[in-house]
Amino acid sequence: MSLRRNMARQRNIGIVALIFASVIFILPFVYIFLMAVKTKQEAALFLFSWPQQWQFWQNLVDVVKTRNYMLLLAYFNSTVITVGAVAMLVIFGAMVGYVLQRRPSGWNRVIYGCILIGLMVPPAVVPTIWVLQGLGLFKSIYGMILIQVAYGLAFSVLLYRSFISTIPRDLDEAAIIDGATPWQVFFRVILPLLKPVTVTLIVVQSIAIFNDFTNPLYYLPGKENVTVQLTLFNFQSQFQSQFNLLFMNILLVTIPPLLVFIFFNRQIVAGMTAGAVKG
Amino acid sequence: MVQSTASVILRDIRKSFGAMEVIKGIDLVVEAGEFCVFVGPSGCGKSTLLRLISGLEETTSGVIEIGGRDVTDAEPSARGIAMVFQSYALYPHLTVRDNIGFGLSLAKLPKDTIRAKVAAAAEALQLTPLLDRKPKALSGGQRQRVAIGRAIVRDPQVFLFDEPLSNLDAALRAQMRIELSDLHRKLGATMIYVTHDQVEAMTMADKIVVLNGGRIEQVGSPMELYNAPVSPFVAGFIGSPKMNLYDGKAAGEACATYGIRPEHLRLTADSPRWTGTVRHVERLGADTIVYLDVPGLGEMVVRADGEQFPRVGSSCGVAPLPGREFRFGPAA
Repeated sequence: MSLRRNMARQRNIGIVALIFASVIFILPFVYIFLMAVKTKQEAALFLFSWPQQWQFWQNLVDVVKTRNYMLLLAYFNSTVITVGAVAMLVIFGAMVGYVLQRRPSGWNRVIYGCILIGLMVPPAVVPTIWVLQGLGLFKSIYGMILIQVAYGLAFSVLLYRSFISTIPRDLDEAAIIDGATPWQVFFRVILPLLKPVTVTLIVVQSIAIFNDFTNPLYYLPGKENVTVQLTLFNFQSQFQSQFNLLFMNILLVTIPPLLVFIFFNRQIVAGMTAGAVKG
Repeated sequence: MVQSTASVILRDIRKSFGAMEVIKGIDLVVEAGEFCVFVGPSGCGKSTLLRLISGLEETTSGVIEIGGRDVTDAEPSARGIAMVFQSYALYPHLTVRDNIGFGLSLAKLPKDTIRAKVAAAAEALQLTPLLDRKPKALSGGQRQRVAIGRAIVRDPQVFLFDEPLSNLDAALRAQMRIELSDLHRKLGATMIYVTHDQVEAMTMADKIVVLNGGRIEQVGSPMELYNAPVSPFVAGFIGSPKMNLYDGKAAGEACATYGIRPEHLRLTADSPRWTGTVRHVERLGADTIVYLDVPGLGEMVVRADGEQFPRVGSSCGVAPLPGREFRFGPAA
């Protein structure tokens, strides 16, 4: 009797938790979507209401066409930055983590110090711009990619290093006996085994870099260099704001990270529990 | 499927980690085609010695020759060796087929050759039905066989085994001992095998090398070591249950250490040499192991036949079999 009552209680708590979670996670999406399909006048009221007039297609076309298809250019730039930076973060993070973990030396403490500094010290914008200008990388996509790599590398090295410590050294040695060069040990044995961390890192970093607003704002000025988050400025100004188009823009910008998350969701969970139980 | 084979010669091998000398000058010849077992307590340097032969560790000084060729400074892959690790070290992301063929694909052999060699190795080790599985879907014994298969396909002159059976349960270990001995007979290759288990050493070896504290204590065939141990250390290490070792003076002998194996003692009522109190009795069926407390000597283990069951707490007389006693060193 009490068991049945207990189960009923557990189910009710579960339902309440689900409702709570949907309010927090789904309502903002619904609100963005409803705002995005309203007319300009209706959107200006900022009401959580059913649109009186649906303008989905019209708003979509307007947003895409704004300022000579700026959004498409922004998508292109953001994708290049994200793919380039994430690829370098994965390769270099894994390499540095591997060497740090496998080859202890007196330099390790110095390197750890640098990594912790990279994690803790906030980046200074103006000196960074000086450096970029000195290197001729200011206002260039390459510069932006390097900035994102620099900001993310410390985290990615730490993540990889701790995971590599769970891979037995016997595997490296077996590969060496099999005739593998150090590069082959890394690329053919170690890197494939790092897949769980790599997926986690790809998801976390690509969402962060794709959605980055402040860094492109500082380091990547210029009409040609626009990234997706900066296109939000198109519909917001001191004297006139088109909130229906702004929200349509937000909706479009939100979709790619959402897709990444949906596709990789299962592997992220697998990655976080990998190595927890001996296989 | 007979393999090429080679002798392994070690000349005054030394190895230090920092200030600590782990291998303190080892001279050893392993003949071609021999099954040689390194045995010793943990920390005696036997695994380090194997890793020096494999090239995973560099020697501090000394010369290693394999097949008459000086390989002291050669890369592991250029030494003509293959190694089986205690953890098997299978690549978890590759199938059994790719695990066995990994070394061949690194050597950029043609695909057909690799396929044929892997198939032959798998056939010899009864792994053919498992070729498309990943290591995590295999049992311990199967993983062990894959690790051996990975060694076989490389056609090594020398096989190195680093405690390969210690992760298996007792029944499987006994079976794998027989399989490894069969493999050795079939391939005829030189095998060097590290273990801390004297049973593995006694059952499989042509030659046993007993190591202690980075030095060779004694080299010989299993029965040589059993019948003529040169030191109390070897005497206590080879044979099960362990030899009873006593201070010479306490045992009434003119030597530093007096030893007698449990199987060379018999329980007797008339004119016993020692008399002790039975502390514990283990019945194994064929034998009975009797633990006695002998005044002045301490514990004495006797292997009696299975029909004898002395009562715990009772008093028992013991006599050694003549000619089976060991006396080590001059009296102090």
